[in-house]
Amino acid sequence: MAEIAATASKRDVGRGRGLVAAIAWRSLWRNRRRTWLTAGGIAFGVSLVVFSMAFQAGSYGDMIYNATSFLTGQVQIQRADYIELSRFEQTIGDATETLRRVEQQAGVLSATARVEAFALVSVDERSFGAQVLGVDVERERQVVNFFDRLSRGRVMAGPDETVIGSGLARNLNADLGDEIVVLGSAKRGGVAAMVLDIVGIFDSGISELDRSLLFVPIAAVQNEFGLGDEVHTIVVRTQVDDSRAVVEALGHQLPEGLSVRNWDEVLPEIRQGIDVDRLGGMFMYAIVLMIITFSIVNTFTMTVFERLREFSMLKAVGMRPGKIVLMVQIEALLLWAIGVGIAMGLMVPLLAWLQSSGIYLGEAIVELAKQYYITDRIYPALGPASLLAAPAVMLAATQIAAFASSLRIYWLRAAAGVRAAE
Amino acid sequence: MPLKLLLQLSTRNILRHKRRNGLLLAAIIVAVGAVTVSNSLIRGMQYDMADAAVSNLTGHVKILAEGYRDDPNIDKNFVLAENWQPDVAAEELVGWAARVRVPAVIMSERGTRGIQFVGIDPDQEDISFIGQAAYDGERLTDGSDGRVVIGRALAEQLETTVGRRLVIITQGADGLNREAGFRIAGLYDTDGTSLEKIFVFTGVNTLQKMVGADVFTELSIRLVREPFLFQFKTSMIEFFTGLEVLDWRELEPQAAAMFVFADAAIFIWFFIMMGALIFGLVNTLITSVMERVRELGMLRAVGMRPKSVIVQVVLESSILMFIGVACGLIAGWLFILWLGEGIDLSRFAEGMDAFGMRTTMRPIPLAGDMLLVAGLSLLFGVLASLYPAWRVVKIKPLEALRR
Repeated sequence: MAEIAATASKRDVGRGRGLVAAIAWRSLWRNRRRTWLTAGGIAFGVSLVVFSMAFQAGSYGDMIYNATSFLTGQVQIQRADYIELSRFEQTIGDATETLRRVEQQAGVLSATARVEAFALVSVDERSFGAQVLGVDVERERQVVNFFDRLSRGRVMAGPDETVIGSGLARNLNADLGDEIVVLGSAKRGGVAAMVLDIVGIFDSGISELDRSLLFVPIAAVQNEFGLGDEVHTIVVRTQVDDSRAVVEALGHQLPEGLSVRNWDEVLPEIRQGIDVDRLGGMFMYAIVLMIITFSIVNTFTMTVFERLREFSMLKAVGMRPGKIVLMVQIEALLLWAIGVGIAMGLMVPLLAWLQSSGIYLGEAIVELAKQYYITDRIYPALGPASLLAAPAVMLAATQIAAFASSLRIYWLRAAAGVRAAE
Repeated sequence: MPLKLLLQLSTRNILRHKRRNGLLLAAIIVAVGAVTVSNSLIRGMQYDMADAAVSNLTGHVKILAEGYRDDPNIDKNFVLAENWQPDVAAEELVGWAARVRVPAVIMSERGTRGIQFVGIDPDQEDISFIGQAAYDGERLTDGSDGRVVIGRALAEQLETTVGRRLVIITQGADGLNREAGFRIAGLYDTDGTSLEKIFVFTGVNTLQKMVGADVFTELSIRLVREPFLFQFKTSMIEFFTGLEVLDWRELEPQAAAMFVFADAAIFIWFFIMMGALIFGLVNTLITSVMERVRELGMLRAVGMRPKSVIVQVVLESSILMFIGVACGLIAGWLFILWLGEGIDLSRFAEGMDAFGMRTTMRPIPLAGDMLLVAGLSLLFGVLASLYPAWRVVKIKPLEALRR
């Protein structure tokens, strides 16, 4: 002790804090094994949380991007009452002008319009109910990637062509080249009838869509179903991070009666699935960090207990209790730094590497993941939130643990301490 | 050295440092308690998902005509004889339900939708969600009831309600379309909306008359307990030759995958918690033996065997672990009791629905899981004490005395 103080004071004449830090650093290494074990605990907890949070963030990002780029887009504009009732006559009038205004909005990368009609579709004797989506394929391709993934055939090129879902094709016993009859009711009540050639079949992996959807060029649907320059939905592509701002801006700009919705309102199940998952994760992280904190408290309880005599001595020769406590706090800070240093030293390169290679989920989970728009590989996201949350919590935990254990130093009576520990 | 004496030594050593060992105990209790609670929630989720999958008109085992799954059509049907039920021990069965299920188009005066039109015998349907759902209005009375019940969500889409009429179009057995009007007897209400939007029910005889054939398209069987499934399925395959006999895992592969995943999740949770715990445990044990190096050196100098030293340290760790595990299990169990009916997640309803889960997360504590946690924890305790024990035995008695 005297030796430590002597060497330290040579360097740090008049600089109390430097001296205290130097003592703290040396004290830490008086019991190497304990320091390594405690730092190891911190490193374990921090690594676990950083790793899982990075993968959670990464898979959420992928999930949102894939889900929205699939067919729904990041932002949708509809007549407000259409959202609830989805009635055919609840259209956006002046579609061309509205679409032009949407496209001019900053943050909007591209946009397209759709009409949606319910119809009875038949091939030969077989009939099924199906959703007819009138789309502009060229524009759709700028907004979503649905049409890049037809399983067979090609996209529509003329007004009499259609692309249908694989489930619907199977139910209708239809194939490429067959004729399909579409019967629905037009806006003013008449019968809308179309005869179309099947030129493409899609297999989206979402059986509800494959079973019930067919795509027809928008102009043909508007024509047959008695719509003028009217559409049901305008689908907008933005960066996922910009979508909320775009919703805000469009909400102010567009006429009353139109509702602009962000992806999390259009696909609430995605947002909620993420929230539930995040909640479960939080529970786990809280428990893990709590167990680690107990072990840190324990370490400091033991450290302080073993050095009661030393502290009494320091107190006896005139060191302020505040300074002794400060010394313990600095020990805690150094311990934290070692633990977090190990964790970051391992996790950052590992995650950086995984960012390019990803983790393959395995066959069993891939089927499951598809429904949630996760591809077969997941990638971590290295954001400040996932990297810094666990270290920050651990910093607070170590400081509180050290402080709680070193409080007794205030009550320690200098002489009594020396005697008690003898 | 007699075990009793060693036990006494270990106990006293633990009591010598109440604060330190108290903290360690607290950490063990939190870890074991958290694992117990999370296990019960994972089990609850697993069972609910399996239950939802089985209730979703699937049953544990379902019998279909060949090809119905690829092409769900009235053509793919089968006939059931008068006394078709094979002999199965009655105590193993919840029930059978024979149904006709066909794709159809439903129209109200305000809207049109594509649906699955299912003819049922309401008396048989206590095995599926439709027999357990809440209703507005009336249920179907029997297999020849000529009315329909539809989901509340579908009723909203179609802007219709109890007592109003609907038109349903479907394909008859002869391949021609049939159209018929039905009055709505009641609206059923399930946890999510995905089922409500798809399924419309009427009496099975009514639907058979509509399609013009006295046939069925599916037969669902619900069992009392899952382990009977394999044996049962095998006997059904023999009995219903020429038909497809499938179990719920084949029919609902997603739910089955989640089911398997939940089993793994239980172990993942346990090892993460123990991983977090082990640092503190080893740390405390090492401190406790290193403090006693002199004392142990003395004991060894007067003839205590190294083996006894090791046993003493292992005992110390095991006692701590044992108390911690016992308290942790009790704490976890009390927490589960406090949760009671479960955690309400209805604000995530659509997300849960999409995942095939219910909106209440119900804990199901299983004795087997608790025993597994207890056993593995104790094993962990022993493993964690080996290093400190080895460490102290390595020091020669004389060296120890000189410290």
